[in-house]
Parts: sequence; structure tokens; C-alpha cells
Amino acid sequence: MNLRTRHALEFVLDNLVWFMLLLVLVVFSLFIPNYFQLGIFANIIEASSVLGVMSIGLALVIIAGHMDLSVESVAALSAMAVGILFCSSGIGLGVQLHPEWLMVPVSLLLALAVGGLIGAFNGYLVVKVKMSAFIITLASYIWVRGLVLVISGGRSAQDLAPAIRWFGIQRLIGLPLTAWIAVACFVVFSLIMAKTPFGRHLVMIGGNETATFRAGIRVNRNLIIAFVLAGAIAGLAGWLLAIRTSGATANLGVGLLFNAFAAVVIGGVSLKGGVGTLPGVYAGVLLLSAINTAINLMGLPANFTQVIHGLLVLAAVLLDAFKQTIRQRLA
Amino acid sequence: MSEPLLVLDNVTKNYGAIEALKGISFSIGKGEVVALLGDNGAGKSTLVKIIAGGLEPTSGRMLFEGKDFLARSPAEAKAAGIETVYQDLSLCTNVDVVANFFMGREITRKVLGIPVLDERAMEAVVGKALASAGTRIPSLRTNVEHLSGGQRQAIELNRFVHWGGKLVLLDEPFAALGVEQTRRGLDMIRQVASQGIGVVIITHIMQQAFQVADRIVVIRQGVVAGDVARNKTSPDAVINMITGETLAGAGPAG
Repeated sequence: MNLRTRHALEFVLDNLVWFMLLLVLVVFSLFIPNYFQLGIFANIIEASSVLGVMSIGLALVIIAGHMDLSVESVAALSAMAVGILFCSSGIGLGVQLHPEWLMVPVSLLLALAVGGLIGAFNGYLVVKVKMSAFIITLASYIWVRGLVLVISGGRSAQDLAPAIRWFGIQRLIGLPLTAWIAVACFVVFSLIMAKTPFGRHLVMIGGNETATFRAGIRVNRNLIIAFVLAGAIAGLAGWLLAIRTSGATANLGVGLLFNAFAAVVIGGVSLKGGVGTLPGVYAGVLLLSAINTAINLMGLPANFTQVIHGLLVLAAVLLDAFKQTIRQRLA
Repeated sequence: MSEPLLVLDNVTKNYGAIEALKGISFSIGKGEVVALLGDNGAGKSTLVKIIAGGLEPTSGRMLFEGKDFLARSPAEAKAAGIETVYQDLSLCTNVDVVANFFMGREITRKVLGIPVLDERAMEAVVGKALASAGTRIPSLRTNVEHLSGGQRQAIELNRFVHWGGKLVLLDEPFAALGVEQTRRGLDMIRQVASQGIGVVIITHIMQQAFQVADRIVVIRQGVVAGDVARNKTSPDAVINMITGETLAGAGPAG
């Protein structure tokens, strides 16, 4: 095999999920009437913004060799906190700030802080007390959702302050600003993971924690930062969710966790840690969204979505194993 | 012996009721190669971990360059100038050769005040280091998981030669190497020592110890059973020290 074909093959393997996305879009455009329109593609990106942002945080922690099951509940709690403060009906307190735009940074910081705090709590227990991330974050998944129910009393907040909702309404090149925020998050965190020592260290910690410790990398510090980031990013997802629904309900975002897992795995992140990139995760998110849109357009019952997502995760794992064998031949 | 680089004074380590090290005292000079020998479970690896910051001693003290020394983490030991090559390889197989070579010490340049990895500079350094050591790896951008055991060990050895420091600890560094690579590895050790760096090498193979070491220290059941210059002893005498003077009644092997 000459060097050119080898490089080409490696390029395809590294970006396989993008090629899958492209294939799926082409097939859908050819066989589903009305699929091939800019509006549909914009809708795919728009519909995936909350899931996309949440998947970034989850992916960071999984790449570092751990797990965060709490992201969905954390997003719900952040959304509820924003909803209670800045919604004007339901359980909303309708807090007004002057000037009005001040509500944007305040609500955003609140959402990030709520998420970051829970992330710090998870990270501390996992890293310092050395408990399993699976159990700790499972507990958080349950108690944080419980907290959402407690503070909302099971009721909902509606009519989010217009200054905050503006982000969901104002469009730039056909996409609402919330979607641009998600895209910007992917760009920023992809760069952090690929180009900075912090990102490189997280990947190496996920690969061989002992080796990185022996090499003098501050493993505990890096891991806690990863958990705090995952929490804060989930908080951002909650903020976007509150904007999208113009408020918050007690069961907001239920089921997002499994979609985020599906996106992360389809995107080529290994649950064993150390493998995967964020652009891949974004492609995974878009792939899920593209399929959802196709199901909607074909008028299939929405219940099919879950079956297809499950099969897609299976296919992704099988494909990953297949990629491994090809790579071994290449080396 | 030249001026001592590291002095161990009655260092002990207990695991609960078990005394792994009962009081180890010896010293390593600058540019000196010390072979640390002993049977399985004699406490060699424990001792290396204590010097390298992976374990804290129960009691005793260490002097490094004449000053009190205790590394609470591998990072502290590294900062003091102590490099370690462990028995079980310390490589992240999920990243490429360059990333492993620079693990924790990446070259960065500032972009808008943010440190960004300078991949090109790092690749150039690794390419030069591997070439001068005669190690051949098809692509520095290959993930280590696709390399052979010998290539992996070569990366580790080149890494310590490159970073040097003041003291190098090698815990069975040649376990996965072929004959030719081992010879080259031993040459590397002499070359490193000639720069004034102290080297402690743990090995099971008597021949290697006699090929490379200036001094041989034998540990048996947690104490120093012998500390002799290489040219004043013989393999047979060293084996006697390792197993205990008389084979009959030597008891359980440490």
C-alpha cells in the first residue's frame, strides 16, 4: 500500500461519522420528498443545539476515562433555576433587572454556576474520595432531578423574560442564536481538546492514568476541572433549554441523557476512555437529529425514533470494532 | 567514589504489619551506575517507588545533593531531577509517539495568551532523539498501541536519555528488548552516566549488571545484603548475597 492511499484511508477512518452523516443526508434527500431544503437542514442544526451542548460535557468526562450520568438532571435544575427567577407566570417570580439586558448575563451565570457546583461535587467525590464515577453521578442524576421537583413543587414556570428569549428568536444566517451558541461551543472545546496541553492531558489520562501520574501530570486537578466543565456545560444546555421552551417544567429534558450517550458513542468516543474527538461527537448529534427529522417528514410514529437510535448505537459500536481491525493492519 | 548525589539513610516501608523495607542505607554518586539486585519481593521496586515519589517511606531519610529530600508525588521527584522508567511501561497507548515523548512537558506557544501545543517543534525533537539513538519507528504520528513491545520500550528509554535530569531510576528496563536493542540500551546507560547523571538499574540478569554497573547493591528481605564495587566481586559471590550465604537454611526467599 502506498503512502497516499494509506493517508486517505486513515483520513476516512478518522472522520467516518462525518461520511456517515453525509451518506444519510444524501439518501434522505433522494428518497424522502421535501427533505432537500435549506429550511430542513437549518432545522436539523437548530433541533440539535441542546443535545449537542450536553454531549460536549459528557464526552469530555468519558474521554478522560470517567462518566457523568448527571448531565441531564443538572441541565433541568439550571433551567428550573432560570425559569423560577425570570419567568413571569406559573411558579416564576418574574424578577426584573434594569437595564433589561442585564438578565442575560445574570441568568447565564446562574445556570453555569449551578452546573459547575454539582460538577465540582461529583468531581471531588470521584477523584478525592475515589468512588466510582458511575455510582456518584447516578446518585446525582437522581437527587438533582429530585431537587428540581422539590423547588418547583411539580409545577412549571412559563413566559421567560423577553430579553433572554431574544436568543431563541433572533436569527443569524437562518439559524437562531441558540444554535450558533452550540456551534461555537463545539468549535471552542474541539480546539481545547486538540490543541492545548489540558486537552492532551485529558486524553492521556483516559488512556493510562498511572502513566500520566508518573509523568508528573496533575491528574486529580485535571479530572476535577473536567467534571466542573461537564457540569457547567450541562448548565448551559439547561439555559438553552429554558429559552427554547420559554420556561421550565419539572420533567424538562427527561431522556436527553440517553440521546447524549448515543451521540457520544456514535461520534466515535470509546466508553473505555482516551478515544474520541468532539467534531465526531457533533457529527453524531447531527446524525441523530437528521434521522429524527426524516422520521417526522415521513410521518412515521415518533415511537420509531427510539428503536432507530438504539440500532444506531449498536451499529456504531460494531463499526468501531471494525475500524480497530483495519487500523491494526495499517500499522 | 565521587561526591554523593543521593544518600538513603535507614529507609523503611511497612505495609500494615509487613515490613517490606527494614532499613535501607546506601548512596549513589554523580555519574555512577548502581545495579540493584535481589530476589523477587526483596523490596527493589518499593525502594524505587519511594525515591521516585510514588510511595512515601514509613521512616528514615534521604539526602539529594546534600539536602533533605522527600518526594510526595512523581511531579516533585521530576522537578528535583529524578527520572524513572518503570517495569510496567508508562506509555499512553491511545496517543502518538510524540505525545508520549513529551507527556506532561509539552512544548507550547502562546496564541492570544492561551498555551497551544507546538506539534511541529515537538515532532522535530522526537525525530532527532530517536534517530540519534538508532531507534526506527515508521511514523511518529502512529498511536503507540500499534507499535511492538520493543518499539515501546525504546520510546521510554529514549525519553529518559533525552530528559536526563540528575538521577535516573530504571526498573527492569530491558524486559521486552531483543539482544541488539539491549546492547544499545546498555550503551545508552553508560552514555547518560558519562554526563554526570547517576543511574540506578534494577535487573534480574547478572550479566547485564556486570556489563554496565560500577557498583552492585544487593537487597535481601528488606535490608542491604551487599554493597560492592563491580571489579571487586564476581557473579557467584553476588548470587550468594542474593540467596543468602548458605543455600541450606536460607529461609523463604525474601
